[in-house]
Amino acid sequence: MDRGTTLALVGPNGAGKTTLLKCLATLLQPSDGGGTVCGYDLRKEGDAIRARVGLVTVRGYVYDDLTAEENLRFSARMSGLKLGPDEYRAALARVGLERVAEQRVRTFSTGMRKRVVLAQLRIRPLELALLDEPYAGLDTQGMALVDEFVREFRDEGTTVIIASHQAGEATGAAEQTLILKDGQLSPMDHDEAARSHLSYQSLGASEG
Amino acid sequence: MELLRRAWTIVWKDLLIEARTKQAFNAMVFFAALVLFIFSFALGPDTELLQQVSGGLLWVGIAFTGTLSLNRTYQSEETSGGIEGLRVYPGDPRAIFLGKLFGNIIILLAVEMVLFPAAAVLFQIQLLPHALELAGVAILGTIGFSIVGTFYAALTVNLRAREVMLPLLLFPALIPMLLGAVNATTLIVVGDPMLDSGIWIRLLVTFDVIFFVISLWIFPIALEE
Amino acid sequence: MTSKSGLANVIGIAALALFLVGSFVGLFVVSADGMQGDIQRLMYVHVPAAWLAFLSFFVVFLMSVLYLIQRDLRWDRVAQGSAEIGVIFTVLTLALGSMWGKPTWGVWWTWDPRLTTTAIMLAIYVGYLAIRSFADDPDKRARWAAIVGIIGFANVPIVYLSVIWWRTLHQPPSSPRSVSPEILWTLMFNLAAFTVIYVYLMMRRVRLAKLEGELEQRVAYHG
Repeated sequence: MDRGTTLALVGPNGAGKTTLLKCLATLLQPSDGGGTVCGYDLRKEGDAIRARVGLVTVRGYVYDDLTAEENLRFSARMSGLKLGPDEYRAALARVGLERVAEQRVRTFSTGMRKRVVLAQLRIRPLELALLDEPYAGLDTQGMALVDEFVREFRDEGTTVIIASHQAGEATGAAEQTLILKDGQLSPMDHDEAARSHLSYQSLGASEG
Repeated sequence: MELLRRAWTIVWKDLLIEARTKQAFNAMVFFAALVLFIFSFALGPDTELLQQVSGGLLWVGIAFTGTLSLNRTYQSEETSGGIEGLRVYPGDPRAIFLGKLFGNIIILLAVEMVLFPAAAVLFQIQLLPHALELAGVAILGTIGFSIVGTFYAALTVNLRAREVMLPLLLFPALIPMLLGAVNATTLIVVGDPMLDSGIWIRLLVTFDVIFFVISLWIFPIALEE
Repeated sequence: MTSKSGLANVIGIAALALFLVGSFVGLFVVSADGMQGDIQRLMYVHVPAAWLAFLSFFVVFLMSVLYLIQRDLRWDRVAQGSAEIGVIFTVLTLALGSMWGKPTWGVWWTWDPRLTTTAIMLAIYVGYLAIRSFADDPDKRARWAAIVGIIGFANVPIVYLSVIWWRTLHQPPSSPRSVSPEILWTLMFNLAAFTVIYVYLMMRRVRLAKLEGELEQRVAYHG
């Protein structure tokens, strides 16, 4: 993939999109073969990759018993960042959570939780952003927020991969589309993807 | 150092959550006190006997209680996406081991601060005259227990029968530490005319150092997916 | 492959022969120890069994290290074989030690440092084999087992030393009595015989493990 592009990764449930993203984030090791991410070898230079890659999962790595701000602080510190309380507030304001910064995430709705995850993502300097079903659980405002972030990433030259089982929502923000089906990645015509409703098609048996 | 800072971040996170939910600490204290009570009950009112075995009973109680909390070490990550949530960050993964280790040591020591006085009452032993030495033994023993425990907990966290596997792996490995802690404690409490406790403390220190180095070294392999 | 099988057969026959000769000499030819009587003859099996138990464990350790460095499943198979055989010999050692202890000291069990360490080693072995049963993926299984094998083995000398301290602080250490040359030679012979038995069992077991591994792979691919 070229650096700085925005890619939509679509495919039916269970096709392996999440697995692929996790491999790129070095959380999973490929059983066969290897590759490079951001110029670093997947198997041997995982640390350099993790320093440049951000991952947003469906549920997000968020602690229920910490406040939104504390979650952000944890994420930032673990990434090696030293930020002041103002910067945390600003990051939360960006995702519309400034009023609940001191509340525990346990009390949040799914959408609010997702926004904490997005704030965690945005706070770090990244070369590659991996978004797994980023629109799931968000209201229209939230989804617009995701699109905004994707646009900002593109302006900053950050590569973005959006995985989604709903082809329509991902391709809108993206420049290219790939479809993962039966263990094979293949390009898909962008307009066709935008129009299709992949989640309703039966695409045959797929390898997990 | 970056490694220590990240480890400390994990400790901060775990202790903060623990302070708010108080899940582990309360359960551990109750369980430990109960175990000691049952021991003293089973052995009967013979004061001299109780005093002689007090060191052993105390450390068995600590070991059982500690094992309870070890599973929780990594399980507490489960609701937030599992240990992936820690592995996704850059930096040496050993920070995870150190962070969990310090957290376990702190919580276990906190429980012992209740347990030792409870043992003093139940087993009729005098702790105050030797408080400093006992504290030293308690710290060394707890560190040794936590090192081996935190490591094996990481290994067994994803296994189906982890409640059985963890003690099975843990207890043979702990024998030198238990010998050292029990004997040192008993000698300090009951009387040490020949100053033998030094040997046991040296054993504890050796054990702690050896297993700390080995565990730290092998941990990234244990964490591999 | 047939030549390997042939070699294993030769070694097997040699093992059997050596064992029979060694046992015969130990049981009937050599004169019994003066103080202990015939029960002392148990030593001719107990000591080699103990030797093999520790050798097996050392092999497990070595193979574990090799596997972690090279990630070649061959080493893991040897480790597995050695662990299984080692368990058998460890149980044998403990049983014979116990049997010997009853008439000699009057108790079924004594906290003798070597016996105690052997018992703990058994627990570590069992843990090693137990953790293998929890992974279906051969690489994961080998990795976990290797870790447990390395730490377990590293523990053995520490346990031994601590138990020695534990016992000697309470009572004076037992000094080894000198043995007559013919007893010594018989012992050495039996030691050699048992080592050959070990080699034979290992060859068979590792070959079996290789076949099991291939079967496992085929099942994984074709479902």
